Amino acid sequence: MMRPLVFLLLLALLGGIVQEQSNRLQQRPTILKLGPVPHAGLVRATTGEHLTALSFRTVISVMFYFGSFFEKHTNRMQDAPEYLSMYNHLKHAVQLDPYNVDAYYFAEAAFTWELGRAKEVNSLLDYGMKYRTWDYQLPFFAGFNAAYFLKDYATAARYMQLAAERSNNPLFTKLAARYFHESGQSAMGLAFLDTMEKGAKSDRVRQIYHQRKEALLAVNAIESALEEFQMRYQQLPESLSELVTKGLFDEIPSDPYGGKFYLAADGKVRSSSKFVMQSLENEKKPVDTE
Amino acid sequence: MTLINQVTLTLRSVLSDRILHAICGVAVLLVVLVPVFSSFSMRQVQESSIGLALSASSLVLLVLATQLGASSVFREVDRRYTSSVLTLPLSRGEFVAGRFLGLSLFLLLTTIILACGSALVILYATSTYPSARPIAWLTLFLAFGTDLLKYILLMAIAMFFSTLSTSFTLPFFCTLAVYLAGSASQEVFEYITGSLGDQMPAMLRTLTELTYYLLPNFSSFDLHVQAVYGLDVNLGDVALSLLYAVVYTSIVLWAAIVCFKRRELP
Repeated sequence: MMRPLVFLLLLALLGGIVQEQSNRLQQRPTILKLGPVPHAGLVRATTGEHLTALSFRTVISVMFYFGSFFEKHTNRMQDAPEYLSMYNHLKHAVQLDPYNVDAYYFAEAAFTWELGRAKEVNSLLDYGMKYRTWDYQLPFFAGFNAAYFLKDYATAARYMQLAAERSNNPLFTKLAARYFHESGQSAMGLAFLDTMEKGAKSDRVRQIYHQRKEALLAVNAIESALEEFQMRYQQLPESLSELVTKGLFDEIPSDPYGGKFYLAADGKVRSSSKFVMQSLENEKKPVDTE
Repeated sequence: MTLINQVTLTLRSVLSDRILHAICGVAVLLVVLVPVFSSFSMRQVQESSIGLALSASSLVLLVLATQLGASSVFREVDRRYTSSVLTLPLSRGEFVAGRFLGLSLFLLLTTIILACGSALVILYATSTYPSARPIAWLTLFLAFGTDLLKYILLMAIAMFFSTLSTSFTLPFFCTLAVYLAGSASQEVFEYITGSLGDQMPAMLRTLTELTYYLLPNFSSFDLHVQAVYGLDVNLGDVALSLLYAVVYTSIVLWAAIVCFKRRELP
């Protein structure tokens, strides 16, 4: 009679201890939750062929740690997780296995929008690009970060160029060309588009590249005329139509995307189409941007 | 009593060993859990499942190789099995070689089962989130093959220590030490032969280099990263690793036979 009672008592005691233990473990500081970051060289030397599994485990523990914040606060984080520790663990994970795409993807998701650490994420992505030579997503992420967060269009264009070369996706080509234009490197954009057009297998894709190239050529021509105008009159024209009245152009080149070129306030040549194909309705609307 | 009889006897005795049944049970559980763990991955379920399956298999083979090798000779001596079997027309050399071949055959069978089981769970895991890159099946099976070579070599080392010892503890821990040192030797060697090694005392450097050449280099058998991400494998390197395993294992086995021949048996 006593034995089952003692057994049940022990079970109940264990239940209580487990509950208390779980509460305490959840309150542990990050250094204990994620653990200190061990020296990558030492880990590499001692874990042999288990590096990929260990790298996977490191990323998963960071993801779980980060996810626990959302769970607690129903999709709204009150306490900020320790991003530096998370970043160091992700860096450690890619030092163990530089091919681990989860680490790059998670860094892109967690450190750019939330913290604006695009520069650090791009350095991590740069590391991954050296190994994942087939992967177009890493240069795409880095290109997006450079353009959207860092406003560094020249770097963004280079990343998008790499993404385009790896994927053969016209979208990346368009983005690269646009960023080349934004950074004032239209000539480089033209050379890039020319290469992509020649290498395209499908007629449709070739046509897309051609259209983008035509747009950039037009921009290039207008920019040259603007330079000429500035040399002659020591100032920029008020609108592009002044280039025609002063005899630098017979007419302003047309935008193959259906828009109309204009001189923006920052002195750059832009188009009302933003180099995106216009619908018929839009084409009919008068453009009053000059 | 021939060598073939000894091989068959060894294989039979291993297959009926309850401890090994338990280890194999754990192996099945590990492999079955691969799709569960790999599903936590965000973008590389396929790659994670391959990595975890290879790691699980490697871990099981490590336990089997050290357990079987470290207990193989000393246990037979302890049970006085050698006293009776060596009265038959079977030399001590044939006894050790027979046991080694029987145990290697068991490791081969286990690797085949683990590889097939892993292939099934990888296929299942991949079906939930297919990767843009196809599975490099040939590289995957090559990775299982090189793992097998590595653990056969490790088992030979464990058998060598077992022929010297009168207990399980010494050969087990010595084998484990060789395994850890052999896995780290390449990294250490590259470290000391680099610019950082110039600051080390010349004596220590020479000693480390000598140890590097003496210890088995297990890094050359590691094809896990290539199998996980479908990277190119240099078949020349694999052939060299095969040759290295055969030669190194033969030397260790020869040393084990010499030691066993000189040993006084009860």
